Amino acid sequence: MLPPISRRQMLQRTACGFGALAFHNLLQAAGTPTSPYANGAAPTAKRVIFLFMQGGPSQIDLFDPKTFINDRHGKSIDSPLRKEVTQVGTDKFLALGTQAPVRPRGKSGMMISDLLPHLATVADDICLLRGMNADNPQHAGATQQFHTGTFTEVRPSMGSWISYGLGTENQNLPSFVTIHPQGIRTYDNSFLPAAHQGTSLTVPASAQSLPIENLGNVSENEAIQRKRLDLIQRMNRQLKSDVLGDESMEGMIKSMELAFRMQTTTPAIVDLSKESKATLDLYGVGGKDTDKFGRACLLARKLSESGVRFVQVSIGGWDHHGDIRGNLPKLCAQTDQPVAALIKDLKSRGLLEDTLVLWSGEFGRTPWSQDLSGKSPIDKHGREHQPESFCSWMAGGGIKGGLTYGESDEIGYRTVDGKVHVHDLHATILHLLGVDHLKLTARHLGRDYRLTDVYGDVVKEILA
Amino acid sequence: MLRFHPITALLLAPLALLAAGDDELFFESKVRPLLMKRCYECHSLEKKTKGGLALDSRTGWQHGGDNGPAIVPGDLAKSLVIKAVRYLDADFAMPPKSRLPADEVAILEEWVKRGAPDTRTGETAQAAKPKRTIDLAEGRKFWAFQPVTNPAAPTVKDATWPKDPIDRFLLAKQEAQGLKPAGDADRHTWIRRVSLDLTGLPASAEEVVAFSNDKSDAAYAKVVDRLLASPAYGERWARHWLDLTGYADMIGTSNEVFAEHAWRYRDYLIQAFNQDKPFDQFIKEQLAGDLMPSSSPEQRASQLVATGFLMVGDLEIVNPDKAKMETDHIDTQLIKIGGTFLGMTMGCARCHDHKFDPIALEDYYGMAGILRSSPSSGKMTGFGVWSTIRSIPLPETPAQLTARQKAEMDHAAMIAALKAEQAKLSEENKSIVAKLDVMEKAAKAKPAAPNDKPATAAATPSPTIKASPEKEVLTKRRDELTGLMRRKTDEIQHAEFFKSKAPKAFAMQDGEKPGDMPIYVRGNPYATAAVVPRGALRVASWDKFPAIPAGQSGRLQLAEWIANRRNPLTARVTVNRLWQKLFGEGLVRSVDYFGERGERPSHPELLDHLATRFMADGWSQKRFLRGLVLSHAYRLSSANHAEGLRLDPENRLVWRMNRQRLEAEAIRDSLLKVSGELTAMSGGPGLVLEYIENAAGLTAAGINPPNYHHRKARPAQEFERTIYLPVMRNGPTSADKIRSFFDFVDPAGVAGQRNQTVMPTQSLFLLNNELVRKRAAALSKQLIAAHKDENVRLEALWLRAWNRPISSDERVSAANFLKEITPLLKTPRAPEALEAARWQELCHSLLASNAFIYRL
Repeated sequence: MLPPISRRQMLQRTACGFGALAFHNLLQAAGTPTSPYANGAAPTAKRVIFLFMQGGPSQIDLFDPKTFINDRHGKSIDSPLRKEVTQVGTDKFLALGTQAPVRPRGKSGMMISDLLPHLATVADDICLLRGMNADNPQHAGATQQFHTGTFTEVRPSMGSWISYGLGTENQNLPSFVTIHPQGIRTYDNSFLPAAHQGTSLTVPASAQSLPIENLGNVSENEAIQRKRLDLIQRMNRQLKSDVLGDESMEGMIKSMELAFRMQTTTPAIVDLSKESKATLDLYGVGGKDTDKFGRACLLARKLSESGVRFVQVSIGGWDHHGDIRGNLPKLCAQTDQPVAALIKDLKSRGLLEDTLVLWSGEFGRTPWSQDLSGKSPIDKHGREHQPESFCSWMAGGGIKGGLTYGESDEIGYRTVDGKVHVHDLHATILHLLGVDHLKLTARHLGRDYRLTDVYGDVVKEILA
Repeated sequence: MLRFHPITALLLAPLALLAAGDDELFFESKVRPLLMKRCYECHSLEKKTKGGLALDSRTGWQHGGDNGPAIVPGDLAKSLVIKAVRYLDADFAMPPKSRLPADEVAILEEWVKRGAPDTRTGETAQAAKPKRTIDLAEGRKFWAFQPVTNPAAPTVKDATWPKDPIDRFLLAKQEAQGLKPAGDADRHTWIRRVSLDLTGLPASAEEVVAFSNDKSDAAYAKVVDRLLASPAYGERWARHWLDLTGYADMIGTSNEVFAEHAWRYRDYLIQAFNQDKPFDQFIKEQLAGDLMPSSSPEQRASQLVATGFLMVGDLEIVNPDKAKMETDHIDTQLIKIGGTFLGMTMGCARCHDHKFDPIALEDYYGMAGILRSSPSSGKMTGFGVWSTIRSIPLPETPAQLTARQKAEMDHAAMIAALKAEQAKLSEENKSIVAKLDVMEKAAKAKPAAPNDKPATAAATPSPTIKASPEKEVLTKRRDELTGLMRRKTDEIQHAEFFKSKAPKAFAMQDGEKPGDMPIYVRGNPYATAAVVPRGALRVASWDKFPAIPAGQSGRLQLAEWIANRRNPLTARVTVNRLWQKLFGEGLVRSVDYFGERGERPSHPELLDHLATRFMADGWSQKRFLRGLVLSHAYRLSSANHAEGLRLDPENRLVWRMNRQRLEAEAIRDSLLKVSGELTAMSGGPGLVLEYIENAAGLTAAGINPPNYHHRKARPAQEFERTIYLPVMRNGPTSADKIRSFFDFVDPAGVAGQRNQTVMPTQSLFLLNNELVRKRAAALSKQLIAAHKDENVRLEALWLRAWNRPISSDERVSAANFLKEITPLLKTPRAPEALEAARWQELCHSLLASNAFIYRL
């Protein structure tokens, strides 16, 4: 006999594991007409892969070149900054031209840098957002806002909200997996039930290393561990019956079995050795620069294909305050082929049409140069953070491919057309998933919270 | 840049043709459609009035929004609408998503120039939506703002059951529902329960046996008094308090900047709880300890440290916009004060009157003015855009001063020694470089002058033949020295950075210009409205806020207002949280929020009885808890019964004890206690700054300040209680990974209650983590050493791990388990090793089971 437990408790305090998501799913799966969160439109995306480029990739070098700046390379320009704001090493406001040619690509003529030759081949599949806006100029705050909508308090991350709103497609896997995360707040469930926290995963560097912590059996062999587990479970069941039933203890008993199985199922999921040579080559697995990120992107595809609702792959290193000429190409070399491979691979498997891929940093970089030493030649300068206007792109899942949306001003500092604030991006992602961002709420301390806080408009112009 | 939209051609042509007098036609044909198309979405009474501005009526723009009238007819420069559409100031540009085409801007300019003719006369009559105003008199009728009463305990049918007035309040409601309380828990269950609740540790086997054998009723009180007197009590309750503060050993989440002095606040709390500092004093010290009188350097230091309450939260210190940053810090502090003491969500009123509760902007900025008068951060010198959290030197006793001066001398001597070593290395290096130089030159000289004198040729080896062994040795040593010198430089830098200094604490002090502050419109420090007098929540006030002496912040007055017996919220919120820690759920289940949208108390009279009793008994937390745990209600079994499940499945009437999963800290600490490895601690820094590999960026100036990575722990930390381990903001360290699996609170907000989730990652932790594994090994080793007989050993194990005797079924299961795994273990091995392996597996099973991680 199990005591009934209130929905409030179920959702807020004692949510039980991945398995419980199935139950949760029945209660409120979005994308179904009965979901309390549904936006009334047919969802065009079922799952999301978010490629997070932590540090702030330089949009002016990669996607949004400015003639005005290129023409004045190395010369001073007028500062557009509010006078109270300090930036270090930018006092001369020297225009810094693009690091490599940026050219029109594909049928659409989307502007993409020579540093991203692979991405250039899928230009017609992606929608470039050139008027992205955020509010915080520092990594921690901006990263938090990009993931949770705010930076003044801790709230659930985008992946957690989507897991909460849509539940899982595979009860043996978490609904939100984050590969090589950059800080807890990028996958924090905050006040949502813990089942919606991102499960952090490391792409195993070798067959011996483990993708999830504590996955390796510490007993001498599996048979002993099984005996140990059997004893634990016998005692757990006895205790449960002694207290005449307990939901949480019952959850723990189930979770022990699931954990035991995960020891074998999880390594199998992350095992890339069964992939064809063609696939491995496509992602650059084994390549000098591309191996690590290639593995991560391939794993993201596998997880997504297996029903993980929200997969995030993060890579740091885009924070080019100095020698951007030397450093930016390195990051591009590591990521360009794997990222383009992901689009191609999803497409060839017919998954791109209902998988939304998002590529973004937490902000972009200034069109003027930064020189922290104050002594370097212009070719060794970098760029400062810029949340005022930057570029992200999306592909698949009901997004208009080949579209360049938004425009920045003459120097590339402010958006003048097609502004997409992070809140708008969140609203749009939820919309594509069939969720109304105004309806996806969770009560906390008396207030109904949303991913989009009190903001957000769906960017209809970019929907296919 | 002019861009031609299709609409442009249509609009532009007739504009030139319009006669100057055709104002109405101009408005109707040009302006109105434009406003409808571009502005109404966000600025109309029909849809939204962002920034308080409506443009769908004449009165709308006349009154304007947050920034005043939107149009001054005839004056382009003073008309905010024109300023906005011209997109000159990026922070004041409209429409927000894209700039209007130039021709449309021209239409609006023309309109304003003409004096803003507006035909919408019908609409001017339409009253703006009545603005919701906070009605304080009405607000005070809400239960939480009513004065605390002292209700008499009700009479009950079963007069023999109650042991304390608490029981009568509970039983009366149960009797009214026809519900009977569960039976009492057995003594083993009770002693484990009360030990875990009061100290965060299970009882020892001896304590369990002693209590079981003492059949007197006084035995219960004896246990409770022992637990309350134990230092472990403060360690447990200080951690509960830290959950409200956002405490971490890091400042903010940017760049792992460490909060070097935070631990002093943690130690202050442990001491305060152990000394049973009266709670009203405890509140006052945390808000205004620096402004309170003191009679000794220790007391002064302790009171300064106490104000760390307001400083240890998640404060971002790297915003280049300092006005914005200061506003965010004040907000963090206000949210903390509101949630911790008042059970109110203050943050909402930063931008607008609270939507549900009678808290107005004026209330927020009244309190914000007090905090703004004591700035908590300042510019960090030498580190770009970084600020730092204010730290203040602490007064020292003569003994402390002497000890510190001794330490400083030792440290200086150590640095001098390091420098001497460095000089020696450098000397050696210099001489080697010189020797190599000579060789190099000689080698170069040779081919350049092939017909040189034979004497030189003999002294210098020809470059074509192999380098001399001497040169090889010298080169190798030179490379070694480069590494050694680099390492030494790092050591010196590290030693100088962490040289013994006068003790400091993150603490508040009044600023130079305390005073009232203006309302920030929608939280924006660059848009100010009326200045409001400093004060507190008016709806919870019983009188006017006391006058703040000139030159003071008002923190002391605020502290006294909060810690006042007439404050309707403070005592209620406090006793409710204490109740929740013992009974699993609060009488008000939303423990941090007592507002309109929070839950109502299940037993309002009991809540008031508890609040009154707490205050009347000198705000003593120990005496208060003692009463609670000696009540009959606390003695109830946690097992369900059918009648209870049917009538009150959520146990709101407390007819049984609520079972609780242990918190992360209690699990780890219990593991250490049961394995006999727990070491006593008297506090001190959790950060291991003395290890050079943990600290980076120690140069005196740079782009980013020094930072901390917990790469290497002190060996002792493995066995210290979890509260003493450093708390990181960007995820736990390897030392306390358990926190990330078992619902540790993100150190940022106010969290009076932990979640109790169930996740497979927790099961994996229990099955495979070395923390559990090592404790199992230690426990088995001790059991084997202490007891030869397997049966006695099993009894001892059960008493230690679960605080109860082993049952006959369990005895059979355990014996079978030991038998069954024996052939599965690797052989050959010594009999002792085999025994240790078998018992480790058994001990591990008990430590990973629900009987260990739950308290009944």
